[in-house]
Amino acid sequence: MRKRSRNICPWARIRDSARPPVACFVILSVLLSPLVIASAAQDSKVDFQRQIRPLLSDACFQCHGPDPKVRMAGLRLDLREDLFQARTSGAPVVPGDPDNSLIIQRISHEDANLRMPPAYSQKTLSDDQIDLVRRWISDGAVWQQHWAFTRPRRPDLPEVKDNSWPRQDLDHFVLSRLESQGLAPSPPAEKSRILRRVTFDLTGLPPTLDELNAFLSDPSPAAYDKAVDRLLASPRYGERMAAVWLDLARYADTDGYQDDEPRIMWRWRDWVVDSLNQNLSFDQFTIQQLAGDLLPDPNPEQKLATGFLRNNRVNGEGGSIADEFRVEYAVDRVNTVSTAWMGLTVGCARCHDHKYDPISQTEFYRLFAFFNKISEPGTYRRSAAPTIKVPPRVVQRQLDRIHRELQVLDRDTPAYTELETRHRRLWEQVPATMIMREDEARETFVLGRGQYDQPGAKVTPGVPEILPPLPPGGSADRLLLARWLVDPSHPLTARVAANRLWQTHFGSGLVPTPEDFGVQGEPPTHPLLLDWLASELIRLKWDVKAFQRMIVTSATYLESSKLTPALLEKDPANLLLARGPRLRLPAEMIRDQALAVSGLLVGSVGGPSVKPYQPAGIWDEIAGGSTGAYKKGYEQGTGARLYRRSLYSFWRRTIHPPGMEVFDAPSREVCTSRRERTNTPLQALTLMNDVTYVEAARALAQRLIREGGPTDEDRVEFGFRLVTSRRPEPAEIEVLRRGLERHRSAYENDPAAAAKLVKVGESALGPEMDPVELAAHTALANGLLNLDETINRE
Amino acid sequence: MTSPTHPIAKARELLTRRHFFGRSGMGIGAAALNSLLADDLFATPLGSPGAAAGASGPPHFEPKAKRVIYLCQAGGPAQMDLFDYKPGLKKMFDVDFPDSVRQGQRLTTMTSGQDRFPVVPSIFEFRRHGECGAWVSELLPHTAGVVDRLCLIKSMHTEAINHDPAITLMQTGFERSGRPSLGAWLSYGLGSGNRDLPTFVVMTSNSKSGSQPLYKRLWGSGFLPTRHQGVRFRGVGDPVLHLSNPPGMDSATRRHILDDVARLNELKQAEFGDPEIATRIAQYELAFRMQTSVPELADLSDEPEHIFRLYGEDARERGTYASHCLMARRLVERGVRFVQLFHRGWDQHQDLPKDLAGQCKSTDRATAALILDLEQRGMLDDTLIVWGGEFGRTIYCQGDLTKENYGRDHHPRCFTMWLAGAGVAGGLSYGETDDFSYNIAKDPVHVHDLNATILHLLGIDHLRLTFKFQGRDHRLTDVHGNVLKPLLA
Repeated sequence: MRKRSRNICPWARIRDSARPPVACFVILSVLLSPLVIASAAQDSKVDFQRQIRPLLSDACFQCHGPDPKVRMAGLRLDLREDLFQARTSGAPVVPGDPDNSLIIQRISHEDANLRMPPAYSQKTLSDDQIDLVRRWISDGAVWQQHWAFTRPRRPDLPEVKDNSWPRQDLDHFVLSRLESQGLAPSPPAEKSRILRRVTFDLTGLPPTLDELNAFLSDPSPAAYDKAVDRLLASPRYGERMAAVWLDLARYADTDGYQDDEPRIMWRWRDWVVDSLNQNLSFDQFTIQQLAGDLLPDPNPEQKLATGFLRNNRVNGEGGSIADEFRVEYAVDRVNTVSTAWMGLTVGCARCHDHKYDPISQTEFYRLFAFFNKISEPGTYRRSAAPTIKVPPRVVQRQLDRIHRELQVLDRDTPAYTELETRHRRLWEQVPATMIMREDEARETFVLGRGQYDQPGAKVTPGVPEILPPLPPGGSADRLLLARWLVDPSHPLTARVAANRLWQTHFGSGLVPTPEDFGVQGEPPTHPLLLDWLASELIRLKWDVKAFQRMIVTSATYLESSKLTPALLEKDPANLLLARGPRLRLPAEMIRDQALAVSGLLVGSVGGPSVKPYQPAGIWDEIAGGSTGAYKKGYEQGTGARLYRRSLYSFWRRTIHPPGMEVFDAPSREVCTSRRERTNTPLQALTLMNDVTYVEAARALAQRLIREGGPTDEDRVEFGFRLVTSRRPEPAEIEVLRRGLERHRSAYENDPAAAAKLVKVGESALGPEMDPVELAAHTALANGLLNLDETINRE
Repeated sequence: MTSPTHPIAKARELLTRRHFFGRSGMGIGAAALNSLLADDLFATPLGSPGAAAGASGPPHFEPKAKRVIYLCQAGGPAQMDLFDYKPGLKKMFDVDFPDSVRQGQRLTTMTSGQDRFPVVPSIFEFRRHGECGAWVSELLPHTAGVVDRLCLIKSMHTEAINHDPAITLMQTGFERSGRPSLGAWLSYGLGSGNRDLPTFVVMTSNSKSGSQPLYKRLWGSGFLPTRHQGVRFRGVGDPVLHLSNPPGMDSATRRHILDDVARLNELKQAEFGDPEIATRIAQYELAFRMQTSVPELADLSDEPEHIFRLYGEDARERGTYASHCLMARRLVERGVRFVQLFHRGWDQHQDLPKDLAGQCKSTDRATAALILDLEQRGMLDDTLIVWGGEFGRTIYCQGDLTKENYGRDHHPRCFTMWLAGAGVAGGLSYGETDDFSYNIAKDPVHVHDLNATILHLLGIDHLRLTFKFQGRDHRLTDVHGNVLKPLLA
């Protein structure tokens, strides 16, 4: 793929750009109205996929859709046949003849009692929408299957006028769309900003000053590609990408119901980090997590991967009924797999046929059947069999060494006994991780209203008819299901995966609803680009790093994220990608950055989850005294455990870490495919006063004093660069420098206060530090960590 | 340092904003500007800029209630020992519970292994109270004193028989996690009623060892934007997390830091034009104001003696149910729209006589005091109070039965809750259970019906307060719920 990347330095274009960006926005404001962006241009043909099906689905399918139990007048509007079929009173749609089309008659009926949709449905169609349907029928009423249920075809690259702009093929799609709207892309972001952007995106951490300096001082056109390669090869990459996967996998360190007791699944989490770092292809990543145990002669790691399917909550509440919760677990697995791989809201069909998508209740239970053959108990706390012990690599090496030594020792010697004991102790410390196994011949039935005690017809494992059939050969088990998912003919998997990776880098997917690719989901903003990306992911043999390399070396990714009033007015959501995304960092990155720039970060990879700072009493106030498991409350860690990356923070599902929650991390009770980016006063209070950030400010202050240079100005600039990756402007330096002076004089007048401030947090204080100076710099650094730019990547 | 409510500080703040918006050559979008200047930084109401497109915002009709205080009694209070008087059972002590009444109701696995299911009548005395003459247990003398203000619903029912699914259903309208809580829906639908405080405040009171736990999802935002989730006011440490400046940093230094941060953010805004930056600036100002307004709110020392006599002496102690009732009043006085108290420990599987008495003792006085206090301030007319747990308890005994002691298992088929205040018919007793307080004999009220009614009192049509997620217009009441017209005043 990299050969395709034009080795033209994108920043070379900034200076000699003949067309200043301002000019193009003037043109833009004349040509563009928001409507033009939101829908196809007025004079073009009505697009059934984008404009008509979503409208019919939302207004009509609830009563005239896939669910026969609530279908009114026996009329279905979600299928082509039914839509055009003549009934006694005429056909719902007569192509070319809106006046004789029943749906036009009914949606525009003068009598409110006869008008569709009926008032009780709480749905209405506007005059514009009715007109749109009318025009679609006049145009000939072209019908197409919902785009997401048909196999993506690799589109040709669209023609573009400015052939010098694209750096990757994908840029053609973005640029041609912009050009068709009379828009030009934004100029590339400054080098320092782009390194910060890509470093966060690929590793979840800010660039170090050394990395920054090396990049800025490398004028070669390949400097950026080199930086990208370095980042993709960093062990930090797997940690960053794992954070995305853990939300989908509803990974946590507790069982999730009622008493929410601790469980040990971190070996599975480490498998994810490891697999991502080794760039396990996405099809293998899929197959191993869904069916590693069913592979021929699976190795322990492959079995461990199936822990994905055991991350669901389990209920050990006294009095709960085993059958009821065994059903809940299988339902959760169906929902999670459907959301994470297919973007389908299959869960709607648990109790009845899906109201919008062609998924019947029977088909839901056929999927359910794939996950219903495990012998786990119905009610339990923490963990339950089947489990596996897979030693972490370092432990495995020790075990192997001891094993080798044992081979050459006489069994009856004390040395042998001693070594054997060590081996046993080491093995005992390896946690048992829950995995999948096909070890129970449990039959599956359609469950009336989704209730465990209302079994109906018996079903066998199978997949929804709207999707391709299972590949031939082998029994219908999880392995076949996994292979079916990653078969190139599957219309959803590659699109959903490509969309998620796009979302990872642009903040929002081309399909803005990654949890729903069904008819009620948002249609893609760039349908051809999405299909091209999906086909490219398959062509790359699911090589995720190569795919991300392509994205982050594209001209689209390199665009500046600066907004102009015109652009904000015309395309506030940046649907057309005329600029780069400016995004508030996810929860983990905000904390990890503070630890990194202050030098506190402990970079070890993997291992048991740790308990960093958390205000005392939180667990007790909400759930104290309920179970012996938490008798001592939150046992905050010490030393290095306070400073690990947030990925490794102990995740108690019912009371997830407040420092993560406040920045929109989900509880991980259920599969989550996107996070909000809110902006609240509680976030401000956290960054201002949480010991995590105050200590980081103090440690950062220590760095400013030690490494920042002799003058206030030097130190201010050094600190500013650490938290924003760019050099401050003179006006910015001035604000901060005067702030530092003011803090200094305040603490000189109150050395007792200074002494208190510099004691915040458990990390060691430099013995040479003058408390007043350190306190003044701490106040400065506290401000730096609270800057909007600090917690954004732009 | 002037306090942020000081006129000078206010003027300064306004100036900052005007200066900022006026000066900025970039300008920001009109929508963003409006949402910023609306005094509503915690929650943007439906129908305003930034809210979900196409949604028609509540109120859908004239609300009776402007605010709600929800007193959640977690664990499942025993209805027949508190409100649902069954005098006929006195003579049935230790008699086998008839299968004809049980009608195949599933049992929890805590009692499904029992040899027999002996009926246990309440050990407590009941008397008629108030003009309405409602029967109330001797355990609730203070509640009995305000019974004419209460609308008792004796015919509540639910599907769930375990705490987690049951209380999750009660608070989010769904047994499994992932849906927004009642308070989050209100925040989403109605927005904030004040400038300086959250829209939705939650307090969890100290509880005895062995109480079943709570979970954040009970006040969570589910699939709604996370800013709608409840903000927990705490009984220990800072009332709101991270409210206090760190040791060694006074308010003047904090102000200086925030001024500098604001200046740099303004420069950033001028360069980048991202309206999120303007919002961030405003949120920092709100955070700073909260640093003063919240401690002042949480400081009960300005309450007169007669208030502590009303709520009880334990209202002086932080973290108690009584202090939270008093806090609830102070919060709604300051415009907080939804206050929810969670009090654990109503799960009397055993030792019910002693345990339930203790539970009532720590809550009864303050609960009644809250009603009287709001009434004397003229606020009961537009404040809705809700009292109740997630299910009821069985009429048959769990564990050993003696003349003095018994326990009761979870029971979903009937339980008692009550409403009081705005728009609610006081002195009404709605719904009836059978002779065993086991099945509903008349006027069943499902959790969804209750939630539909709460929304109705707030001027919200529960069918129209929707949020599209996973392709579906979700509502608090899922696809159910009927407004209980007979309960309305």
